[in-house]
Amino acid sequence: MDLMHHSSTFLLPTIPLHHGPSLTYALVVLNQTLPRFAPLLWKHAQLRLCADGGANRVFDEMPLLFPEEDASDVRRRYKPDVIKGDMDSIRKEVLDFYRSLGTEIIDKSHDQDTTDLHKCITYIRDFAPDVNKSSQLCILVAGALGGRYDHEMGNLNVLYCFSALRIVLLSDDSLIYLLPRTHHHEIHIQTSVEGPHCGLIPIGVPSRSSTTTGLRWNLNNTEMRFGGLISSSNIVVGEKVTVQSDTDLLWTISIKKL
Amino acid sequence: MIAMDLMHHSSCFLLPTIPLQRRPSLTYALLVLNQNLPRFTPLLWNHAQLHLCADGGANRLYDEMPLFFPQEDASDVRRRNKPDVIKGDMDSIRREVLEFYASLGTEIVDKSHDQDTTDLHKCVTYIRDSASGLDKSNLCVLVVGALGGRFDHEMGNLNVICRFSSMRIVLLSNDSLIHLLPRTYCHEIHIQTSVEGPHCGLIPIGTPSKSSTTTGLQWDLNNTAMEFGGLVSTSNIVKEEKVTVQSDCDLLWTISIKKL
Repeated sequence: MDLMHHSSTFLLPTIPLHHGPSLTYALVVLNQTLPRFAPLLWKHAQLRLCADGGANRVFDEMPLLFPEEDASDVRRRYKPDVIKGDMDSIRKEVLDFYRSLGTEIIDKSHDQDTTDLHKCITYIRDFAPDVNKSSQLCILVAGALGGRYDHEMGNLNVLYCFSALRIVLLSDDSLIYLLPRTHHHEIHIQTSVEGPHCGLIPIGVPSRSSTTTGLRWNLNNTEMRFGGLISSSNIVVGEKVTVQSDTDLLWTISIKKL
Repeated sequence: MIAMDLMHHSSCFLLPTIPLQRRPSLTYALLVLNQNLPRFTPLLWNHAQLHLCADGGANRLYDEMPLFFPQEDASDVRRRNKPDVIKGDMDSIRREVLEFYASLGTEIVDKSHDQDTTDLHKCVTYIRDSASGLDKSNLCVLVVGALGGRFDHEMGNLNVICRFSSMRIVLLSNDSLIHLLPRTYCHEIHIQTSVEGPHCGLIPIGTPSKSSTTTGLQWDLNNTAMEFGGLVSTSNIVKEEKVTVQSDCDLLWTISIKKL
């Protein structure tokens, strides 16, 4: 089985050069309070997309992260490339503001079958013109957790529906991404910004056998399922965690409050 | 076709007063975990016969209950809303909070030696096995603070309601409530439209469902298969005051709570 490497370098102030293929980041902002490190993610991303009410969040909250600066300057600097979705949450003043600055507005108000996140992922995968596709794409998502629980579950499901894409859901407290069963996984822990609390979650299907190294409570051909054992409140020990499993697992790790 | 027993569900605990009904009434226990208290916590407190804090949940109660009653003296509010039990690791609760409630007679149950189960797990076990003076024949455990915060905690808490599938346990946040619909029953969910809905969902959290059927939703399921990676019923809408669900697997039911 092929090896897949993971590293939360997008949480570092500058992304170090390293041996593996470099990643191109896209950022999707959904309609929840921006995490405190949103400007950092914005800086690393080559494409910045707001899903509907996510544009309100960028408009209202980015200036709060730069209280010593003029709000208009901050808004101009943090202008999304695209705003996409139902358009039933975005405020008119926000829409007009970003449109006047050149943001592309894509109105999908006729399509009720998929969530805003789903629409944005599809857009990035299929249409995003300037994202360098020859290097690997990683989609960072802020605002997918919290709020209405059916939304949160729908957003987790998007990770499973697009299991061939690297998609990372981020909140102030945690990050989450899928470890597809088709690969062995090496997770390189950025100890300055993440950990030690972590978990491996078999959402949607029981796992007959998962094996890990690098955790306080490693799995060893261990069964996991909802209603039985799931690996939560685990601890990373050291800087490399490996995972292999017969099913897709969600990896989650805590983000340090610095 | 196997005839299955019917299980009724109703979010009466979100109403100011719980109406008398023909079915046996439920006894509520309230469990407070370590996240911000939802705005309706005083309401849940009033309905509950047992009030339990899991470790740092006691800090939340101490700090935040007075904020719901700004016109009252904080000490009075704290005395009035005193937990019956504080249980857990004791690695989050502040010393002053522990001493305050201990001096008022709260039972402190220190499980700091048991690291294998989450605080929620320990508390549900306590309620099920030990809590004396509680009528457990029709018990419903209401939990605040189980969602949000660290994602591994949240998943661990969801797993607790899946493991204790024979108990009624409801997880509540400001935005939503969640409870299990065990596959061993047909379910009738009586929607309290003044306080909940219309946004809802049915989630096959642990195993794919080969067949689920509903009535009362905008997008009903009809022997429909659901699984992560495929169809999961989210952003659904409650259309009628009664929703019915039957499925071949345990489903999580979630519905939005109205901001009043």
